[in-house]
Amino acid sequence: MRIARAGFALAGLAMLAYGGWLGWAVISASTERAVQVTAWFVGGPLLHDGLVAPVVGVVGLALTRWVPRPWRAPVAVAAVVSAILTLLAIPLLWHPFGVGTNPGLHDRDYATGLAVALGVVWICAVATGFVLGRRHRGAAEA
Amino acid sequence: MRRPTHALKASFSAFNVAKASFSALRPPEESDFRSAAHHERVTARVGLWLGIAFAVCFVTGLLSHFIQQPPAWFTWPAEPVNLYRITQGLHVISGVAAIPLLLAKLWSVFPKLFSRPIVRNPLHALERGSILVLSGAAFFELGTGIFNVAQNYLWGFYFPTAHYAVAWVAIGSILVHVAVKLPVIRRGLVRLGAPEEEPAPTRGTLSRRGFLRNTWLASGAAVVATAGATVPLLRDVSPLAWRSNKGPQGVPVNKTARAARVTELATAADFRLEVLTPAGTSRFSLADLTAMRQATAELPIACVEGWSQLATWSGVRIADLLRAAGSEPGVSLYVVSLERKGLYSRSTLPGTHTADPDTLLALRLNGETLALDHGYPCRIIAPSRPGVLQTKWVRRLEVQ
Repeated sequence: MRIARAGFALAGLAMLAYGGWLGWAVISASTERAVQVTAWFVGGPLLHDGLVAPVVGVVGLALTRWVPRPWRAPVAVAAVVSAILTLLAIPLLWHPFGVGTNPGLHDRDYATGLAVALGVVWICAVATGFVLGRRHRGAAEA
Repeated sequence: MRRPTHALKASFSAFNVAKASFSALRPPEESDFRSAAHHERVTARVGLWLGIAFAVCFVTGLLSHFIQQPPAWFTWPAEPVNLYRITQGLHVISGVAAIPLLLAKLWSVFPKLFSRPIVRNPLHALERGSILVLSGAAFFELGTGIFNVAQNYLWGFYFPTAHYAVAWVAIGSILVHVAVKLPVIRRGLVRLGAPEEEPAPTRGTLSRRGFLRNTWLASGAAVVATAGATVPLLRDVSPLAWRSNKGPQGVPVNKTARAARVTELATAADFRLEVLTPAGTSRFSLADLTAMRQATAELPIACVEGWSQLATWSGVRIADLLRAAGSEPGVSLYVVSLERKGLYSRSTLPGTHTADPDTLLALRLNGETLALDHGYPCRIIAPSRPGVLQTKWVRRLEVQ
């Protein structure tokens, strides 16, 4: 295991160094570029640790407080899947800088598509919740 | 059957965090998080799949990079014709799948952000720093990738160079992370003797297994929602696929003739294709090209942005054209478009492709004359190549 760890570490450090060297060529071109690349690099962890993860925690708290037990898992799963689908839809729905029109690309009705997908997710969640709720009551009576 | 101690342990973390933080008004501590999602066995499993997704992304991305900027030792085969369509489809699909995996992985280890002391020793500082680099690089790759396939350029830098550089940073820091965590990973992945050791959470939301299943489900949903961009079966299923069927002649267009400013030149009556060989320069009018032996091939347009579309192309084999101009198939060919400025107005067809009978100078697409936006009067279509190298509105071919 020691050899494997040393191998991983050495290979990883070499690749990191190469990436850093390539990255330096990208950001040293101009201050503006350096700022943009750094913003994209640091933005992810900041946005995640400062916003996404705390929101996940608070939503989880709300679930345990206000949602009856048999419904918690389906609601949690549906919430996670909905959040992922919405996240994936953002680049298609929000175009602050406008893109060139290319026939056949990015020209579907993404708002309706997303709404239908979320509808399917929540119908599945509600159906599962009813089944689990009935099973739960059945277990309680027995 | 209820075991209260286990049930308490499995209770949902946020509940405990909030209770502790609000009552004592202090930041959360690592020990406040007691949800099953934060167990190292969960972290190891999600981490394994995230590692696999990133490895697939890295290898397929590297291939795409080498095809577009081939080093001397690199050759890319012309057969099977769908090879690039598959590798690049895998690149984008594994990237999409990695988004929920990354978020699940980070939620699993989120409590460690609050471990105290912040830094124990220089080595510990290095380890924490390396995790910031790893997470920064991972978010950079997935974030720029998913915006790039939407052609939504929220940056001023050139995407391929930056995405390529940070790919090395990401894969390098993953390897370092694996080296550091290998004992924990092994402990986390080892199968336990007793299969049913985990009770259902009585106060929380999801068990360890439930959290993992939720992660796989979210990843699967993300893939199904987008993979229609390249997987024909999912075309009408994926609501978030970035391509539609509305392109002319059933094929999406990545740059219109208008955007390339070639409309006038491409439709000019005196259009001549020039073929430069060591034997001299030959010129072909559109009528000359139409009069030559025509060949038909079923080939995909496979974009680096992960969408693809199979189509029926017909035109003159590049091999025939080379012979007609006094050269031989198997030479490498520099292709120049009528488009003057664009980044992809030029390309080099390697010898493996000029010798392949499926490599065409296409004049027709799906039974019709090539649409202006697809490269009228003639364009390159070769098997297993990125769409950006299938040069449109071809003006000149130079034997190299």
